[in-house]
Amino acid sequence: MKFHRVEHVAGNTVLYGSVAAVLLFFYVPIFTLILFSFSDSRFLVFPIDSFSIRWFGDLLQSRDFLPALRNSAVIALFSTLAATVLGTAAAVAWIRYSFRFQRVFQALTFSPLLFPQLLLGVVMLLWFSVLGGWFGFSPSVWTATVGHIVYITPFALIIIAVQLYGFDDTLEDAARDAGANQWQVFREVTFPMMWPGVFVAAIFVFLLSWGNFYITYSLAGTARTLPTFVFSGIAVGSSPIYPALATITFIPGLGLLFFAEFMRRRAAAKRRVEIHTE
Amino acid sequence: MQIRTKRWSSPTLLLTTLPLAALLITFFIVPLAMTGVLSFQGTEYYRLVWTWDLEVWREVFSQFSYWSTMLRTLTMALIAVFLCVVISIPVAYALVHRLAAVQNHVKILIVFAFLTDAVLKSFGWVLFLDRSGVFNGMFALIGFGPVTTDILFEPAATMIGMVYNHLPYTIFTIYLSMSRIDRDLMQAAYDAGASKIRTFFEVTLPLSLPGILAGGVLVFVLSLGVFLEPKVLGGGKAPMAAELIRQTFETRVNWPLGAALTLVLIVIGALTVIAASALLLRLLPKTGEH
Repeated sequence: MKFHRVEHVAGNTVLYGSVAAVLLFFYVPIFTLILFSFSDSRFLVFPIDSFSIRWFGDLLQSRDFLPALRNSAVIALFSTLAATVLGTAAAVAWIRYSFRFQRVFQALTFSPLLFPQLLLGVVMLLWFSVLGGWFGFSPSVWTATVGHIVYITPFALIIIAVQLYGFDDTLEDAARDAGANQWQVFREVTFPMMWPGVFVAAIFVFLLSWGNFYITYSLAGTARTLPTFVFSGIAVGSSPIYPALATITFIPGLGLLFFAEFMRRRAAAKRRVEIHTE
Repeated sequence: MQIRTKRWSSPTLLLTTLPLAALLITFFIVPLAMTGVLSFQGTEYYRLVWTWDLEVWREVFSQFSYWSTMLRTLTMALIAVFLCVVISIPVAYALVHRLAAVQNHVKILIVFAFLTDAVLKSFGWVLFLDRSGVFNGMFALIGFGPVTTDILFEPAATMIGMVYNHLPYTIFTIYLSMSRIDRDLMQAAYDAGASKIRTFFEVTLPLSLPGILAGGVLVFVLSLGVFLEPKVLGGGKAPMAAELIRQTFETRVNWPLGAALTLVLIVIGALTVIAASALLLRLLPKTGEH
């Protein structure tokens, strides 16, 4: 009995301790950045003597910041839109259909996930240079957008596919029995049931694209997004404007994720109620 | 759920599969083939010339320095896999069996950290690990010397960055594997008198192997291409394969050589994935879903 008691305490210490330690580990650089963004000093050294918010103003006045913000937003919005539509369609084919060459289709659509991003960027850059030679364009925000779509769509696909797995199709059958055509079934029944998963996937890939460094770095040519703006900045020398940038981009990102979780739960609860009342 | 069999003549099937398939063939498969073709060409005065020979491959296999960089990359990747798996196992177990109530919040916090701009996070680590950074500063406050640790711009800092950026992959794959284990199996072991530790090593861990393997492979393959961590945290002192490839393209402007080195890395990754999937398929029937 005594051994069990010791084992129990030791086990719980390891388990709760590891979760606490890992969460702390994940937030060390994030908290460090937030802390330094409020430092008054130009030099990023600890302990911090006095605090101020002047670096936020300096960041806004930085010549490259607003174009980088705009490029990040353009790339993330367009690639999220494309990835969500393509990923939703492909997820349906992955999970709900069976067809010849399904394995080939699955392998093709999954394999970009297994590619280190830099290599993905490099091979696409080679191809875009060839295409650019033929059609007369050079790497820009748009080549980067295509790169982002290739990189993030498999993530959207997997997230949606996981939620489609075990999809309850009795409501669809009911709608069909009631005389709805294929498009009506999709619009009135299938999509409303799928959309929480689709929405979560969209937020996930939006943030993935927003924070992406490697693909943009390879494919955007001279255009800069926030991550490449920071990369070229810290290569020259550290400045408190980068922690300030971190602080103002972290907060909306975390808010967005909790919002997605809230929407997902609300939709799940609503669905349970609807099914009960029928 | 009913799975519908579709023929390729069905418009729904074409609509759901073709757009993505076309996109990936045009911007993923063709570029890969293109990389293969390029590796058989040559360069003269920073310009590509179409030679169709094995010159570049001869250079790849005769240059010792390329292979020492590859070897360093492989070693670092394997260490990262080991650390990620070892750290993730207790975390995944706790998420499944201890923290069911707050599971979703913990997961969101991990996902957020994962999705945040990697350049900023690496910079955050630099500020934390710096000689006059937060870590040393905090230890100095409680009475240690001014520089307790000085690992920034050393391989250890690169490793911290690699584990940091890849840990969510193993946490989530192992978590998925563990959450699918039938609890009756664990209960049966307890009823038969096995201790919790013994049950963990003889029931839970073997049944989690698919998740451990899948997560490990992901971390390994993705670690082969790291570039930010060795550059920002490792100070560029011990370049890894991705840095070598970047220099070959950008500084030396030798595209065929860069393409060949890219392919070497891709082949190493692909072989690992194939071997692991074969192993996974042999493991799965045994662990079967109940």
